[in-house]
Amino acid sequence: MDPKDEKRLERVFEEIATYEAIVQMLEDNPTDLSHLHLPLAKNVLLQHRETVECVEKGKPLAASYFTNAPEIFTAMDIHWFHLIAQSFGGGMENPHMMEDLEGVDKLAVASDVCTLLRLGLYYLDAGVLPRPTMIIPLLEPCDGVIGLHETLRRHKEWRDIPTFTPDPPYHSDERSIAYYADELRRLVAFLEEQTGRKLDIDRLREVAEETNKQYALWAEYNELRRSVPCPHNHVLAMACFALVQTAGAGNPEHTLWYQAMIDDAEKRIEENNPEVPGQKIRMLWYDVQPIWFNDLAPWMEQEWGVSVILCMFSYAPYTMVDTSSEETLFQGLAKRNLLDPPMVRQARGVADNFLSDIERIVTDYKIDCVVVPGHMGHKDGSASISLMREKCREIDVPFLYIGCDQFDRRYTTIDEMKDRLSQFFSTMELG
Amino acid sequence: MVARIESKAFQELSKAAGTLMNPAIQGWKEQGGRVLGYFCSSMSEEIMTAAGLLPFRMRATGSADTELSDACLSSINCSFPRHCLNEALAGKLDFLDGLIVPNSCDNVRRIYDHWIRQMKTPFVEMVSLPRKAGEAQVVWFRDELTKLKGRMEEHFGVEITDERLREAIRLHNETRRLQRRLYDLRKSMNPPINGAETLAVTVAGTAMPKARYNPLLSQLLDDLSETEGHTNYQARLMVVGGELDNPAYIEVIEDQGGLVVTDSLCFGSRMLWEDVDEGADDPMTALARFYVAERPSCPRVYGKYEERAAFVRKMIRDFKVDGVILERLAFCDLWGFEQFTIKNDFRDWDIPLLMLDREYTLSGVGQLKTRVQAFLETIGEADHGSKG
Repeated sequence: MDPKDEKRLERVFEEIATYEAIVQMLEDNPTDLSHLHLPLAKNVLLQHRETVECVEKGKPLAASYFTNAPEIFTAMDIHWFHLIAQSFGGGMENPHMMEDLEGVDKLAVASDVCTLLRLGLYYLDAGVLPRPTMIIPLLEPCDGVIGLHETLRRHKEWRDIPTFTPDPPYHSDERSIAYYADELRRLVAFLEEQTGRKLDIDRLREVAEETNKQYALWAEYNELRRSVPCPHNHVLAMACFALVQTAGAGNPEHTLWYQAMIDDAEKRIEENNPEVPGQKIRMLWYDVQPIWFNDLAPWMEQEWGVSVILCMFSYAPYTMVDTSSEETLFQGLAKRNLLDPPMVRQARGVADNFLSDIERIVTDYKIDCVVVPGHMGHKDGSASISLMREKCREIDVPFLYIGCDQFDRRYTTIDEMKDRLSQFFSTMELG
Repeated sequence: MVARIESKAFQELSKAAGTLMNPAIQGWKEQGGRVLGYFCSSMSEEIMTAAGLLPFRMRATGSADTELSDACLSSINCSFPRHCLNEALAGKLDFLDGLIVPNSCDNVRRIYDHWIRQMKTPFVEMVSLPRKAGEAQVVWFRDELTKLKGRMEEHFGVEITDERLREAIRLHNETRRLQRRLYDLRKSMNPPINGAETLAVTVAGTAMPKARYNPLLSQLLDDLSETEGHTNYQARLMVVGGELDNPAYIEVIEDQGGLVVTDSLCFGSRMLWEDVDEGADDPMTALARFYVAERPSCPRVYGKYEERAAFVRKMIRDFKVDGVILERLAFCDLWGFEQFTIKNDFRDWDIPLLMLDREYTLSGVGQLKTRVQAFLETIGEADHGSKG
């Protein structure tokens, strides 16, 4: 392999080693949840190995996102990697995070810009991103993503790589969906041109149908999280996203995983054997789960009896795609990818998107409190905090906004987070 | 600002830029005219003019704090919308009969959500601006403008015919042509007008009827032909950035010895450098094409960096610029990333660059002076026009 490519894949190789060890550990020391955690770890391995293979064999490799209709990529057999996932690959904090953050601080990008997005630029600048053969950026849900991708596109390392991105409109009406469907068709034309492969509509239908099954099962699983106590902790709720919104979306093996999730949740409810014992506070964590969440969530569980019922990534009800014709397929994919993906679902468009989700989740899931950690990069979200607070007052549920950096634990330390949460729980007489 | 130019026209324009409810708006309202506020230079003023309304580009001139809007927006939001909302909540924008908010940026788009809850403005519309600039986006924006036109017709009880649109396009193109003539004067080695004064003139153009503005600007151009040019300056500067409507900011820069001879600002050259096609069959398509694809873009448009850079470089050549100041409102993600590419490119092009973050209101003047003075020292004795 070209030494430059080897360096670019350095982090991927490291993650492969980490996940091989995790798989080994889960296989050697099975627990009552190993059958649910193993497929997740194996999927990370599968994706990374595919990335390596694409680079090694010169196969098409896209840098893309979960918002860019992953169903199309599966149908065209185009592998893609999540451009900024390195910092939270597989849901764990990248072991290089502190050195990466120091590198980020040296970039000529203002420090008030989202740390995750600055990390994305840093990875390219530091030469630790695989070199794709095409780039499919995303232009929502925030200004930062536009800025990042325009910068990546013009970066000396990537400026010769072909790029196309669908333009998401601000509205959510039928006209917007039709426009976005046309943008997806233009994406297909771009992918066909880049790869020389023709999209097989029947194959796309097959993939969409499989994802329909998976989304339906995910919705069914989320219904089970309404139970008191909640059957699983926050990890598996978030994991539902990982198997249908990554490369290889629509893999039939993953359908079995969703069914296994349901089976396990039902069993736990029936036996009153929740993964988190002693649940006292049902929390809606209304944002992304930060990369340092594994240092905070167990503390919340043990110290206060918190059960994180849902977060932005675990509550994103998806639209079923009508696969009866090519027209309905694209309309359905447009609707799903424009309106449903986490963060885009909430932050693209008017603030009512945040508010209606809060109200529905609080009501449907018997939520005791809403906590908005408030990532420093979410400018539209921070501009909506007062509206969220007002909504929570209206539906009579305690609300806490903190303010932190989901990707840099130095911004608001874990101890400060714990203090704020403890004060909140005490004042509100929760737990 | 203190008017250096001996011109009544300039005094009136400067006054309009220095306040929100200026005499021209007051007069317009007294005659029963209605005023439609809008955010962002990517909104079409022509449609508002064609509807018989006075377009008013949103700003918060004179705002001193954000005491009222702090209850709505947070401290990590850009200070521009925070001050605008504060002025609205304080009643200083009560002269508006309507407001149009495009999704121009994450901070501004949330103004819509707060405005509809906090204010009693009878007509508030959200417009979806594309983030790319292809033909499909022109078609999308044409439809957006057409829908907006329909809602304006219904709400304000007016008819916006193609003929009225064409008239408005001609009128606004005339404004742009006059403004470009003003910029042309600044190409000379002894420009009769400085950067602060020019910004006051262009800001005024967004706050008074064009039928009043254009004759004033013509008069100013005549007056400037008799004005002595600036000679005592150290370097010719260009200011690049986003929302900047306060001439006092430029004045601080110029007081240190730099002369701002041109810009790429959304209250400056980016709104006036091109014209809308007057000969197009469909005026609405011409407007959509102008605002989406033809006029110089800002970083919210994906895929146009090369054009933005080419525009800046041409400005540098044409106006014999010695150094560029890139100003950014704190918490602006779009310009935050653009800084990275600009910095690298300017290094390659060997063009002196100073990057400044600022708040909407003029603050940190001491620091600003120091940074500009140091920058001017690095430029040194400039051989004007050797860059670019």
